[in-house]
Amino acid sequence: MTIAELVREASLDQVGYSSDQCLKCNVCNTVCPVARVTDLFPGPKYVGPQAARFRMGRTQPVQLKDAPRLESPDVTVDYCSGCGWCTAACPAGVKIAEMNSQSRARLKAGHRPKLRDWGLGQTDLTGHMGVLFSPIGNWALHNRPVRRMMELTVGVHHKAPFPNFSRRTFQSAWKRRQKRRGLSRAPMPGPDKAVVYFHGCAVNYYEPHVANAAIAILERNGYQVIVPPQVCCGLPLISNGIYGEARDKANENIKILADYARKGYKIVGTSTSCTHTIKAEYREMLDLRDDDATVVAQATWDICEFLLYLHEQGKLDTSFGRLDEDLPYHAPCQLRSHGIGLPAMDLFALVPGLRARDMDHDCCGMAGTYGMKKEKYDIAMAVGAPLFEKVRASGATEAACDSETCRWQIEGASGVRTKHPVEILQAAYRAGDAARGGSSGVGGGSATGEDAARGGDSPEAHAAVRAGSGGSRARNR
Amino acid sequence: MPSADVVVVGAGLSGLTAALAVAETGARVQVVAKGHAGTHWGSGGLDVAGLPGTATPREGLASLAALPGHPYAHLAGDVAPALEWLRALLAAQGLAYQGDLDTPLQLVPTSIGGTRLAAILPAAQAPAARPWAAGERLVVCGIAGFKDFWPDAIAASLSRPRVWAETSGPERVDAVSVELPGLAARHNLSALELARRLDDPSWRAAAIDRIVSALEANAAKPGGARPGSGRLALPAILGLNDHAAAFDEFRRCLPMEPFEMPLVQPSVPGIRLYNALRAALIGAGGRVLIGEPVAQVDRTGDRVIAVAMEAAVRTATFRTGALILATGGIAGGGIVADNDGHLEEMVLGMPVEAPEFADWLAPDAFDPSGHPLEAAGIRTDADLRPVDRSGKPIFENVRVVGTMLAGQRYLRERCRDGVSIASGWRAAKTLTAVAVPLPVAAAASGSVRP
Repeated sequence: MTIAELVREASLDQVGYSSDQCLKCNVCNTVCPVARVTDLFPGPKYVGPQAARFRMGRTQPVQLKDAPRLESPDVTVDYCSGCGWCTAACPAGVKIAEMNSQSRARLKAGHRPKLRDWGLGQTDLTGHMGVLFSPIGNWALHNRPVRRMMELTVGVHHKAPFPNFSRRTFQSAWKRRQKRRGLSRAPMPGPDKAVVYFHGCAVNYYEPHVANAAIAILERNGYQVIVPPQVCCGLPLISNGIYGEARDKANENIKILADYARKGYKIVGTSTSCTHTIKAEYREMLDLRDDDATVVAQATWDICEFLLYLHEQGKLDTSFGRLDEDLPYHAPCQLRSHGIGLPAMDLFALVPGLRARDMDHDCCGMAGTYGMKKEKYDIAMAVGAPLFEKVRASGATEAACDSETCRWQIEGASGVRTKHPVEILQAAYRAGDAARGGSSGVGGGSATGEDAARGGDSPEAHAAVRAGSGGSRARNR
Repeated sequence: MPSADVVVVGAGLSGLTAALAVAETGARVQVVAKGHAGTHWGSGGLDVAGLPGTATPREGLASLAALPGHPYAHLAGDVAPALEWLRALLAAQGLAYQGDLDTPLQLVPTSIGGTRLAAILPAAQAPAARPWAAGERLVVCGIAGFKDFWPDAIAASLSRPRVWAETSGPERVDAVSVELPGLAARHNLSALELARRLDDPSWRAAAIDRIVSALEANAAKPGGARPGSGRLALPAILGLNDHAAAFDEFRRCLPMEPFEMPLVQPSVPGIRLYNALRAALIGAGGRVLIGEPVAQVDRTGDRVIAVAMEAAVRTATFRTGALILATGGIAGGGIVADNDGHLEEMVLGMPVEAPEFADWLAPDAFDPSGHPLEAAGIRTDADLRPVDRSGKPIFENVRVVGTMLAGQRYLRERCRDGVSIASGWRAAKTLTAVAVPLPVAAAASGSVRP
């Protein structure tokens, strides 16, 4: 083994071991968005590698007999938002954010999770209930007294941005469509003609128009879309320190997806945080390292990563029409953790007239469910404040971002409608088709067909994200 | 996978300078780096050459350029234009520097109570580099509770004439300490936190008031420095994002001339430098990807055609027309040594020029001539192409910059920033001359796995 291999292995080694690599250089503290705005979090170095040696558990394999089992030495680790900037900036390869997530889980292990943290982790449950009772749910989520009650009782901040629940889940709308088109029992095309779509909770319960755009684009480019049954990726549970249930979700998804992955299908997702969870966090956080988990991770692609890959192969339909607009773009922290650059920006560059600009801001503050919490809402808003200001100052009428809760945060705080990159690309395809006078390959705007007619979930009909109390700028404008 | 005209590996001063110079030509440039580099640890000053016995950087540059095998042997003519170009770019980002190659090297007081030779400094550090007039005083002002800056120790040390060597230092050095608003109960205070607070105009005004009071109290002591004359050393915390305004306000409102002393890391002046370079690069259309090491480099013949980065799964591959290697030498992790005296270049596996293993250890740990391994690095031709032991270029479209270059003793010679800026600038120029066309999905004839 060469030195280079040894060094590389060490730098890619498991999370706990990596604290040995820490030089105490403080670079992680300089990039932490949370420590930038609040004294409540001392910074990743202090709660991460510095505190790691005092923690019992995986980083400390020897438990002395009769010695008391120590709690985490630093409870402020709960103020880590998990954005992962510290890990990225570390010149020595220490997995600081991952260490903090595991420490949080250890801190919470053996305690019953707060109802709020548990509830925010249960995206499938809240989503299903919300969709089932969507008129009531949507009223409640945007009703000021109800939201005040929610803040008082469960601790979800009354201004935390939530979109509307859909009237039906994407899963059920998709099944209807396949049935209507007589495709329910159609033979599955091969992996060069079809991809598996991992929709994630946001699409399933709130944003079917994102799925519709993605599916229209995939179909236009010659890929049929397979939507197997699936559950939440587990990230909301991981970031709330509830590893046990997260592992259950992960195993359920892996069981479903492994067969497809083995047959060579790519698993493509529109939520960049879901796809990153499947790619990396199942392994790094949940310690799922068996063949099934590995083959699924290796088959998983973020949608923009996949579309850019098609383009590099010369296989992407680039008949985009002109979109004459400024488009502020925010790269979510989870996308950064993919380590794939900014594929959305590369795709935007293919659209004539589109002036996409990377806002180059570290974090919008939301970090999954972090910014929804009563005690963290102000921190999250302060973290994202320069971004919101840049987006507003751009004068643009819409912005783009790959991750759902970031979109809700940016839209709620800046008042600028914030879309998934595939929605922008879909508009560009439509513009191209309209200019050529032909019928649109991404036509109805809704892969599930019925949504627009129902007036419920098409992008046009989709109400802007509103903060609960109605105090947001989005609503005031 | 995405493609670029030029991929720069490394995001320190040399890598970002090279990337900026490439981006200015309109080429697409992608910076990739495993993590943040030396900028966050450095002083923010730009050392071109600081040899004892030379009067200006230009003199030192000339004597280093005459040394066989020194990077300046190839780069001497590039230093002045590159420096001028970079200073204009930084000034446009609100980060002004003072001094040039003909500015006399001066002993500048440091935050551990010593002195170092410097000439080209950020505007906020530059007042420290002016000669001390007869009778001129220095007051060192610390912040109560801030553990990276000890005014009494600094003042006591700077009061010793031998710290100032043959030159004359301040007539007298006093120390004062101020309590700043809202910090009384803090256990951990970093320079960065203080700098961010000083971005806030109202907190800044309150801080200035307290410093003024402390200086007045000091003046009332027997022999204390009178406000209205002399200079005031402050820790380098005078604003991060709004530094220019913060420093200006300190200068206008304080009764003595303030200057910043750089501190241990995290270095605020270094982060300002990184932020300015990064903002200029992104403004010029460049991209920066930080967080993962290089996994593999594909080549065909003597050309690098793709750089693959580690990623969450798979690798992220950038097809590229050229590669600039700015991985920082031994200190930056671009070269790694093992216990058997073997040195490995981590990205392309190129041969490393280094002293014999037997000569690695000097008898004196603080040998004034520095550590022999400082000189280790990659040998290049005049266009900064890496060469093998026979002097033949190994890769046509690779350039080596910064502390990766063999033959410099950058700690002793204080030439690191000059070499970084000049080599980054020259690398971009020579690549533009080669007019790198993007290869058409060329099949790799081989790959290098670090």
